[in-house]
Amino acid sequence: MGRTVGIDLGTTNSEVAIVENGQARVLPGEEGDLILPSCVGFSDTGKLLVGRDALRQYAAAPDRTVRSIKRWMGTDHKTTLRIDSASDETREYLPHEISAMILRALKQRAETALGEEVTQAVITVPAYFTDAQRQATKTAGEIAGLEVLQIINEPTAAALTYDLRSDETEQVLVYDLGGGTFDVSVVEITGEVTEVLASHGNNQLGGDDFDRRLQLHLAERFRQAHGIDVPEDAVTQARLLRAAEQVKITLSTHGFAPVREAFLGSKGNTALHLEAEISRSDFEELLRPLLEETLEAIDRALADAELDPEDLDRIILVGGSTRIPLVQQMVEEHLDQAPVDGVQPDLCVALGAALQAGVLAGEEVESILVDVIPHSLGISAAVSTPMGIMPGFFSVIIPRNSVVPVSRSEIYSTMSDRQTAVEIEIFQGENEIAEENVPLGSYKVEGLPPGAAGSIQIEVHFDFDINGILTVTTTEKGKGQQGTLVVNHGGIERLSSHELKQARADLDALFQDGLFQPDETLLSSAASDVEDDSIDVETSETIPIAPELVALLTRARQALDTLEGEQVEELQDLLDDIAEAIADSETELIANLQEELADFLYYATTQDS
Amino acid sequence: MLSPYDRLAIPLTATPAEVKAAYHAKLREFPAHLHPEEFKEVRAAYETIRKGGASADDFFFLVRPLDAKLDPSAVEALRQRAIAQLQVSWEEMIRETF
Repeated sequence: MGRTVGIDLGTTNSEVAIVENGQARVLPGEEGDLILPSCVGFSDTGKLLVGRDALRQYAAAPDRTVRSIKRWMGTDHKTTLRIDSASDETREYLPHEISAMILRALKQRAETALGEEVTQAVITVPAYFTDAQRQATKTAGEIAGLEVLQIINEPTAAALTYDLRSDETEQVLVYDLGGGTFDVSVVEITGEVTEVLASHGNNQLGGDDFDRRLQLHLAERFRQAHGIDVPEDAVTQARLLRAAEQVKITLSTHGFAPVREAFLGSKGNTALHLEAEISRSDFEELLRPLLEETLEAIDRALADAELDPEDLDRIILVGGSTRIPLVQQMVEEHLDQAPVDGVQPDLCVALGAALQAGVLAGEEVESILVDVIPHSLGISAAVSTPMGIMPGFFSVIIPRNSVVPVSRSEIYSTMSDRQTAVEIEIFQGENEIAEENVPLGSYKVEGLPPGAAGSIQIEVHFDFDINGILTVTTTEKGKGQQGTLVVNHGGIERLSSHELKQARADLDALFQDGLFQPDETLLSSAASDVEDDSIDVETSETIPIAPELVALLTRARQALDTLEGEQVEELQDLLDDIAEAIADSETELIANLQEELADFLYYATTQDS
Repeated sequence: MLSPYDRLAIPLTATPAEVKAAYHAKLREFPAHLHPEEFKEVRAAYETIRKGGASADDFFFLVRPLDAKLDPSAVEALRQRAIAQLQVSWEEMIRETF
């Protein structure tokens, strides 16, 4: 039997961790990197890229790259990826298929690090994820070849790693603001027992939204400077987004961030650049309204936990976006208490998942977890109102923040005389109108005995297990006749075993001939491909050059023949710089110059048309 | 069906801290992933006791444990109150008589 790992499948970054001798640790990639960017793409030559290599090509090739796929989980949104640069061949992927590639890369990373097969995993999701989003995550894990032992909530996983434990009970608030989702959980910690009292959140709010706002702001700055709009095409927008992200990161430690994006657009024959300086207060102004929402969520979680802010012993911040000083400041002001370091903000979710994986795999791990269901579950029912009996109300059977696993029943009666059937429609959510909530499924109970309205009683029993599977059983009280429905989820269908096999085989094939680590071509072969005098490659024969760069250099050489005037000079300078960087084996610089070259070529070749 | 107190194996007089400690001990005994049914019962018992506040009163008709400990200060308070009541009624009786 293989090993069991814990996986944090994040919007921006993912990690895989394991417990050994009671201690959790994050497993590194071959280059010692702990974090795998949640980015997937196809290289120039049609090879599958996962992680840093995919992220690196994002700005230059957004049509071959996808990021933040987590935001689409549980929907049937299709991502179209061009699978190589030469042909126009594209392929469509569902969100869980892309996620499966990330999970597969993590599995591979763990297997390489451990030298053993990995077969089981605990995967984390935002606490506020719906049933469909959880199911999609589980399906992704299965496609990646992992048995998903449990899906656990991210803030809960973070709390599991909290190491300031004592036998005294502490009330801790976990504020988790990631790349795409926000959760707040109120947790009670006593010794090894971690008990979630309440969770709330927003599964569509995170660092991506801050980037997006900043991107629009940069576009506005460009318009003000040049009097025209930034081109709408995907590559330019992707570059602007990348710049925005960089600004955000810089502003976490600096008061101002410079932006310099060359060749962003053109007016006639003149190239236009974006040169601006963004101050922290500019950024904070954009961000504040979004953060106000998170404060409301804090209040609701506290109310559900029946606690006041002063009852909290500690506040823990989790997730990359909590590095933003304004986030810390607003949380501190709102709760009148400074957040503390009790966990590692980037890694604690994966570490917590590994601890839980250890518990489930039967390792010696001193940890007991009690978690809650974030959304209420119930059925559509008629209620009597001053205006008569009104159907379509949401009758909650399992209220939000109930501890899982949980079983609850309610008794309902028929609405009309001689009613022989009743439709049980199951929803998840907090709205009083059933239809406004997320539908999870429905079924009909037929053949009820005839009787007057209200005389026939039906017991509806909800059983919600630790894996988030809801089983609904209805029993007619008189005859004891039963019906049962196992509710999977509302969105995508659960895969049949045949479909799962097929999806796994497809993924295997991609990983086999795709080699998600780009196999690197030695410089000597690059030299023969590029036959360009300006690139002196003799001095170092051992530096590998990525095939992407080789392809770019080939295009650059062709462009030298077709371009005119200043552009030829600019390109020549750039090529000289690259040759020098290669000669000096400066990999970082090569990567930067490669990006610049890609931008230049894009600009120069699209400008003509 | 066990009473919530029996489920957690605590006396009706258990303090909130004792209730929580007993609940945690039961969580250790019945982890949710291995014993879901027992876990649910333990959880339901804990919620009933904690939320109820009504606590012991709800189980008035249950057979009380024979070794129930009496809190001496509570007994004293009760005695005082009973005596006060008695005295009042004496005074009233006297007033009514005359």
